[in-house]
Amino acid sequence: MSKIVVPGEVVSDKPERMAYTFSDGQKTYATALSLLNEEGKLVPLEGPYEPIVEDVVVGYVTDIRFTGYNVELGEPFSGFLSSRDSRATFRLGSIVQARVINVDEVKSIDLADARGLEGGWLEHISPVKVPRLIGKRNSMINTIAQMTGCNLVVGRNGYVFVSFAGNHSLAIEAIRMVEAQAHTTGLTDRVAALLREKAGAKNMNAQAGMAGAQVNMAGMPTSQMARGQDDNSQM
Amino acid sequence: MTGASKSKPPLLREDGKRLDGRSFDELRPLSIEARVLNDAAGSALVVWGKNKILAGVFGPRECIPRHDESPYRAVLRCRYNMAPFCSLEEHGRSGPSRRSQELSKVISEAFENVVIAESYPKSAIDVFIDVLQSDGGTRCAAVTAAAVALADAGIPMKDMVAAVAVGKVEGKLALDLSKEEDNWGESDNPIAFASRNGEVLLYQMDGQLTRDEIDQAMTMGKAAAQKVHAIQTDALRRVYTRAGEVALPLSLKPGEARSE
Amino acid sequence: MEVQEQLRHNQLLQLLNSGRRADERGSLDYRAIKLQKNPLNNAEGSALCKLGKTQVIAGVKIDLATPFPDRPEEGVLSTGAEFSPLGSHLFEPGPPRVEAIELARVVDRGIRSANMIDLSSLAIPGVAKVKAVYVDLWVVDHDGNLFDAAMLAAVAALSNTRMPKLENDKLVRGEYDGTLPISCMPVTCTFGLLGNHKILDPTLDEEKGLDGRFTLATTPDFVCAAQKTGWKGVTQKDIMEFVDISFKKGADLRRLITQ
Repeated sequence: MSKIVVPGEVVSDKPERMAYTFSDGQKTYATALSLLNEEGKLVPLEGPYEPIVEDVVVGYVTDIRFTGYNVELGEPFSGFLSSRDSRATFRLGSIVQARVINVDEVKSIDLADARGLEGGWLEHISPVKVPRLIGKRNSMINTIAQMTGCNLVVGRNGYVFVSFAGNHSLAIEAIRMVEAQAHTTGLTDRVAALLREKAGAKNMNAQAGMAGAQVNMAGMPTSQMARGQDDNSQM
Repeated sequence: MTGASKSKPPLLREDGKRLDGRSFDELRPLSIEARVLNDAAGSALVVWGKNKILAGVFGPRECIPRHDESPYRAVLRCRYNMAPFCSLEEHGRSGPSRRSQELSKVISEAFENVVIAESYPKSAIDVFIDVLQSDGGTRCAAVTAAAVALADAGIPMKDMVAAVAVGKVEGKLALDLSKEEDNWGESDNPIAFASRNGEVLLYQMDGQLTRDEIDQAMTMGKAAAQKVHAIQTDALRRVYTRAGEVALPLSLKPGEARSE
Repeated sequence: MEVQEQLRHNQLLQLLNSGRRADERGSLDYRAIKLQKNPLNNAEGSALCKLGKTQVIAGVKIDLATPFPDRPEEGVLSTGAEFSPLGSHLFEPGPPRVEAIELARVVDRGIRSANMIDLSSLAIPGVAKVKAVYVDLWVVDHDGNLFDAAMLAAVAALSNTRMPKLENDKLVRGEYDGTLPISCMPVTCTFGLLGNHKILDPTLDEEKGLDGRFTLATTPDFVCAAQKTGWKGVTQKDIMEFVDISFKKGADLRRLITQ
C-alpha cells in the first residue's frame, strides 16, 4: 500500500540519501507532502520547480535586450537566452521552448536551443506533476495529443503549450484532470475514457482531425528519466 | 479587553468543569480543511472552537521589495491579519495593528526553523493568515493553519508545526483557553511545537506561573499538539481522497470533516 | 505582467474570432454560482459567493455611529473592500489599492441607489446616535469578475443580517431582535469587451486580455449603478444591449439569493 506522508514524517528507520528527505543520522524523514510507495520510494505531490541543467522548459519572452531575451519560466524563475545561443529571433510575449544550459549558485538560469511556439495558449501545472502528464514512455501526453488533435509541448517547469488547432479546451480539461489526479492509479485509462466520451461530438467543430495531432515531449528528454525520484509515472 | 470595566465572571461551572463543559486537559472541537483556495499554492481553513482562520501560501516567488531578499535563501514572511467583521464586538479597523504586527513576526520566526529555504535564493515565500472569525487562541489556530497551507503548497520543510495554548483558570492549568478564559484567566501561554522532535518554536506568556506550572504546561501542551498534528495530517491526506472542486467550506462546524 | 496581458489579449482574440471561449462557455453564460449564507456567526450577516473559481466573502457588522451632519435622521451605510493577499498572486499586503476602492464604491452605489436599505429606519428615536451598517468585501480567491461576485455576496449577506438587540441605547452583542429590513436586491452583470466581442462574466485569464469592461447594477425595475472600465469605447447601441441582458440575467441572479 502506498501512503501519503507529511513533512517530518518517518519514511525509513535508517539513514538514507534520497530526494525530498533528510536524515538526523538515525532515521530518514520526508521534507515534502509526498506519496511513499510500496518500494519505499518517495514521490512529491506538490512543490516548486527545481531547475537542473538539461531540463527542457517552456516560457514566454518578457524583455528583449541587446544581448538576448528574458524568458519567464514560472515564479520565482526566469531564464536568460543569449542571442548567441539562439538562431531564431523572438518578440515580447513569444512563447518559447528552450534547454537549460546553466544554473548558478543563486539559481540564475541560462537557456539555449530555443524554438518559438505559435498559435496556442500557455497553461501552467504543478511542476512535480510533469512526469505524470508525460506518462510512461510518453503514453499520457500521446493519448491527449492524438485524441484532441492538439499540438502539446510540456516544459519541465510546468508550462504546457496547447495549440488552438485541435480540441483546445478538451486538451486543457484532460491536462487539468491529470494534474488533479496525478496520485491515483489507472489514470491513463480514465483520461482516455474522458477523451473518448467528449472528443466524438466536439472534434467535429474543431476542424483539426487526428491527422493534425502532434506532440512534443519537451519536458522529458532521455537524460531526465535518470532523475529517479521525480519519475512518478509509476505511482 | 472589552470587559475591562466589567467584573470577573465565574470561569467554572458548579460541577467543576469549564464553562463550555470541557475538562482541564480537553481541546475545543477542531476541524481543518486543506486546499480551499484556487489561486494560492497552498491553503487551509482551520475551524477551532469559534475561530475561523484562513491561510494561503504563495511562492517561492520574486521578493518585493528587493532589499528584503537574501542571496542565500528564500525569505519567509507570515502576515497575520484580522478581518473587520471577525469579532462579535464592534466593526474592526483594517490594516495592521501593533498586536498583529508582533504576531506576524513571531509566527514568521517559528516557521524559519522548519522551512528549507536554501533551494530558492533571492525569492520570498509568503504566508497570509486571515482571521475571519475570532474566539480565544487565534494565534495558535493561525500557526496550525499556516503549517497545513505550507505543506499543501509543497514547500520543503523539516517538520510540521502545531500550536496550542495552555493557561491557568481558577488556580488550575487548563488547555486551549476560550475567549472568556483568556480574558479573565490568570495566565496564557500560546506554544507552537515542531511535531517531529517537540521543539518549542513559538512561545509567549503572560500572567503568573510557578516553575512547576511552566513545566507542567509544556507537558500538557506537547501532548495536545500531537492531537492537533494528527488532525493536520488527516486534512492533508484528505485532499487526495476527497471528490469535488476546490471550495472554501466556510460553514464548516468545528469537530467535523467536510463531507461532499 | 504587461507582456502576459498582451499575450492573453492576442490569444483571447484568436479564440473569440473562432467563436469560442477557453472554457467553452457561451458568450453570455455565467460560470457556476454557489452562495453560502451566514457561514460566520460573529458578523451580524455574512455570505460567501463562489463564481467559478472566484470566491468573495461579505461580512456585515452593525454598530452605533454618529450620523452625517447633513443627514441626522438617517443611519450610516459604509462599504469597504479588501483584496486579501491570500486571494491572488496579484494582490499585495498594504492599504487598499485603487481597484479595491473601485470595487467597494461600485457595490456601495448599487446598494445605495437601489434603496435596498431604508436608512431612515436605522435612526433611533430620541438618541443622537444611529445604527451603522458596515459591509466588508473580502476577496479570498480571484479568478475574475469580482464585481458580480462581490455584489452577490454583499446582497446575500445583507438579506440575512440579524439586528443586535438594543437595550438602554446600547447594542447587546450576541442577542438579536429581528433582521435588517431590505426593500429589493440589486445585482450586477459585468461584460468583457474585446474588439467587437462582448462576453459576460469574464475569468481572470480573459480579463487580462480585455480592452474594457462594462458593469450594470439592476433591480427588477431600474438600472441603479454603472461602471465602465478600461480604454475601450462603447456605443449607445452597445449600452442598450447591456441593459436588456442585465435585466434578464438579473432575475436569474436574484433567484440564487432568495432560494
